[in-house]
Amino acid sequence: MSTSIPDAVSTSGRHYPIDPHPAEHSDLVRVYVWEWPVRLTHWAIVLSIAVLAVTGITIGYPLLVVRGPAGENFLIGTFKIVHSYAAIVFTLSVLSRIAWMFLGNHFATWDKFIPVKSRRRRGLWRTLRFYLFQLRKPPGFIGHNPLAGLTYTLVFGLYLVMITTGFSLYSMSAGVSSPMRVFRFLVPLVGGLQTARFIHHGVMWLLIGFAVHHVYSAVLMSQVEANATMESIFSGYKFVHKDDVIYSGYRYIDPKDIHDQHL
Amino acid sequence: MKKSESRFDVELRRRGVSRREFVAFCGVMASTLALPRSLEAKIAAALQKSEKPVLVWLEFQDCAGNTESFLRATKPTAAEVVLDTLSVDYHETIMAAAGHQAVEALERTVKDRKGEYIVIVEGSIPTGANGAYCTIGGRSALQIAREVCGGAAATIAVGTCAAYGGLPAASPNPTGALGVADAVPGLKNLINLPACPANAENITALVVYYLTFKSFPPLDQYKRPLFAYGKSIHDNCERRAHFDASQYVEAWGDEPHRTGYCLYKMGCKGPVTFQNCPQIRWNEGTNWPIGCGHPCIGCAEPDFWDKMTPFYQHLPNVPGFGRAASIDKVGLLATAGVAAVFATHGVISLIHRSTGPKGGETPPPPVEPVEKVGKGDRP
Ligand code: HEM
Ligand code: SF4
Ligand code: SF4
Repeated sequence: MSTSIPDAVSTSGRHYPIDPHPAEHSDLVRVYVWEWPVRLTHWAIVLSIAVLAVTGITIGYPLLVVRGPAGENFLIGTFKIVHSYAAIVFTLSVLSRIAWMFLGNHFATWDKFIPVKSRRRRGLWRTLRFYLFQLRKPPGFIGHNPLAGLTYTLVFGLYLVMITTGFSLYSMSAGVSSPMRVFRFLVPLVGGLQTARFIHHGVMWLLIGFAVHHVYSAVLMSQVEANATMESIFSGYKFVHKDDVIYSGYRYIDPKDIHDQHL
Repeated sequence: MKKSESRFDVELRRRGVSRREFVAFCGVMASTLALPRSLEAKIAAALQKSEKPVLVWLEFQDCAGNTESFLRATKPTAAEVVLDTLSVDYHETIMAAAGHQAVEALERTVKDRKGEYIVIVEGSIPTGANGAYCTIGGRSALQIAREVCGGAAATIAVGTCAAYGGLPAASPNPTGALGVADAVPGLKNLINLPACPANAENITALVVYYLTFKSFPPLDQYKRPLFAYGKSIHDNCERRAHFDASQYVEAWGDEPHRTGYCLYKMGCKGPVTFQNCPQIRWNEGTNWPIGCGHPCIGCAEPDFWDKMTPFYQHLPNVPGFGRAASIDKVGLLATAGVAAVFATHGVISLIHRSTGPKGGETPPPPVEPVEKVGKGDRP
């Protein structure tokens, strides 16, 4: 097991920092895919959305009714404060991740989200065919597959909608001298505060729906790829077949070709 | 004191308003305007020597509710005297003149006092059918508003209809009704005093501010004066402690309702609506909606009939999903649907993988010839 990490060179001359897989006679190589800012913002976004959704739904529909003198209780008041702090974590994480799309490594850049290259557009279709059981394997992209990338583009758009409506809602109760008051200009843009609330709820459900899909896809891909997709978001590393490094995005098997291919 | 008695002082004395009452009124105005008490004297002095500004009051698609609000008075008050210092040259509901005489009075003011008079607009302006839905003296509301507001020193849109279209503009808006700002764009010194109706206290305070400072107070992004619309109902509400503590009315007339708990769960729009009702209240400070157990319905907000309804529900319904379809019910069902789709996908995927040949241990070589790959055409 070598400690110095050699570079694999693809046909286009791109260098990937990789590491031979520790197991002997293995064709797998270790690739550093998710740098720490990607992993950190990922988990900060997961946790903050969980907190925001729980506190948000409670603010919308407070079920707990507290007895006793009002002055001695501050239950929903506390939920609102927690919502505000989680919103700060969420907003900063989203903005940092967007900045990292221009600063990060090969797997983190913006063109992994928006398929501008024809090769990723082809991969989009193939990944979709994999999901529709028309292909037996997804195309072997190492980072985000093109379909996932495009989905994340939409999800980041939804994040920005949550931030816009959230800040417009926040600005309404900002005091006359509070700097948060500047966000009042957003209120007419989101169609008024009652509409902002409506959008804030609707997009929250879209994000919850996405979370369901996302966890499922991660588990599925982890199984069919067997490349430590799940572990990678903790460790940063994926174990990838060396062919996938060189011919990334090309591996896919049409079920009707199965008998011709020696698998 | 006696020797330099102004017209204003004579008027106060004639109506039996004492000096003490007048000073108290100036104090109330200062606090309504969110000005320091020290400016009370300045207000009093300004009112006493103010000249009569000319006022024109236009009514379009309205119910005259703002006129009622403006004119309401149970006893002669200092406010009344202040309002009487305005020379109301045209006001259909209260002027003695009628017909051609009235129209002439308006025309005279617009011509002779150009750039000096203040115009108050009540009611929305219909733009459909070339303005035929509201005509006065043979001219459409839109024509009148363009001409009269265009030549005014300032335009005050009182009530939600004049400010944003209000009830006539509610969906489906058959007459194409608009508020003044939208019907006559580009007016200088336009001030909105929305609410249904506008609170007489705020109209008076606005006039007092103008008489005192010869300018208009700071406005928010909807052109509403900050002194009256700067804070949400929720942030000034006397039931707010119950909101923060999680103590809510759950049904009309239940124990919490009788105790005076927060009306949030009965659809109170206080958190997203603005006006100074909690402080100045209504009917000369007698009470206000939430004070007597009714949630705020957001009467001073743009598009209030369309956006604040259903009044007794927290959020609007989802269009196309029938009555009482809350976004959260729809969202929860949709999420369950997504989960079901992916669970099915998971099952099919498992079957698929267990029946087909094993893949994954040995990825196949690329099916497409590698030579096809252009430079820079990497993942
Ligand atoms: C994915 C992230 C988020 C979720 C799931 C979420 C969810 C919610 C929900 C369900 C509500 C209740 C709305 C109502 O019924 O009135 C709410 C309220 C609110 N949210 Fe968020 N939110 C998120 C992000 C944000 C962000 C980024 C901000 C930015 C400041 C924010 C600020 C607020 C504010 C100020 C309220 C109003 C609380 C009140 O009524 O006083 N939210 N949120
Ligand atoms: S009654 Fe309405 S305005 Fe008052 S605290 Fe409750 S929600 Fe807010
Ligand atoms: S409490 Fe709300 S609905 Fe009632 S008058 Fe005030 S702003 Fe209008």
